[in-house]
Amino acid sequence: MRMRRKKSRRRPNVTLNLASMIDVTFLLLLYFLVTTVLARPEDRLSPTLQTRSESAAGPTSDFQPQIVDVLRLDGRPAFRLGAQIFRDKASLTAALRPLPKSAGLFVHVFDNAQVGMVAAALQAGRDVGFEQVTYVPAE
Amino acid sequence: MIDVVFLLIIFFMTTAQVARLTHTEIDLPLERGDQQATPDEAGLVININASGEIIVASRVVGLAELEEIVRSEIRKDPHRPAAQLKLLLRADRTVSASYLNSVVRLLDSLGVGVARLATEVPR
Repeated sequence: MRMRRKKSRRRPNVTLNLASMIDVTFLLLLYFLVTTVLARPEDRLSPTLQTRSESAAGPTSDFQPQIVDVLRLDGRPAFRLGAQIFRDKASLTAALRPLPKSAGLFVHVFDNAQVGMVAAALQAGRDVGFEQVTYVPAE
Repeated sequence: MIDVVFLLIIFFMTTAQVARLTHTEIDLPLERGDQQATPDEAGLVININASGEIIVASRVVGLAELEEIVRSEIRKDPHRPAAQLKLLLRADRTVSASYLNSVVRLLDSLGVGVARLATEVPR
């Protein structure tokens, strides 16, 4: 009986060249490192900023809207509510809290104020529950 | 090392929020805003940087050009009243409010009744 010798096939030594993939991977990493902008979380004072002075309280409203002046007095930021002067947002918020909300709030912005102060006044109005907060540029 | 590199790539891909081109780097007022669960569409974004320059779509524009841009935005949808135009004002917190006032007056003259002021949520 003839024994057939099994031919031992040599399996080809297959190797995957990873060099190019590593290059691509590093390029991708570099791309993301360079182009990534870590955006700071933003929000909006959305419906509160209005430009028309007549929109907060309609002409038929029985109440007068509250008016907050945003300006600089003696070189320092100030919020003026009637005869009262407030130097920070917390005290303005406390003063606005007991006022009637139905007629809305006018934020009267003087040119010498800073945008940060304007946003603080709008936020204070929003925080205490004024649904209509109107931005009015000073003449 | 490849594993680490891949993990880094995945980290950057998932955590990085790609800033829109319209968003110029600006120090916004530090307020928490309306805290809406789902922020609505930004619409036309008007940036005012610390120097008082008005920037729309990464381009510095004057008030006259801004007026034309807003007019063309209004014309885009003739069925939508100008008062309902979506606008986002991104103004630097340190800039004089006179620049914001001038933009607001312009918007008012064009019939845009509502705008939104962008804020940066304090950490």
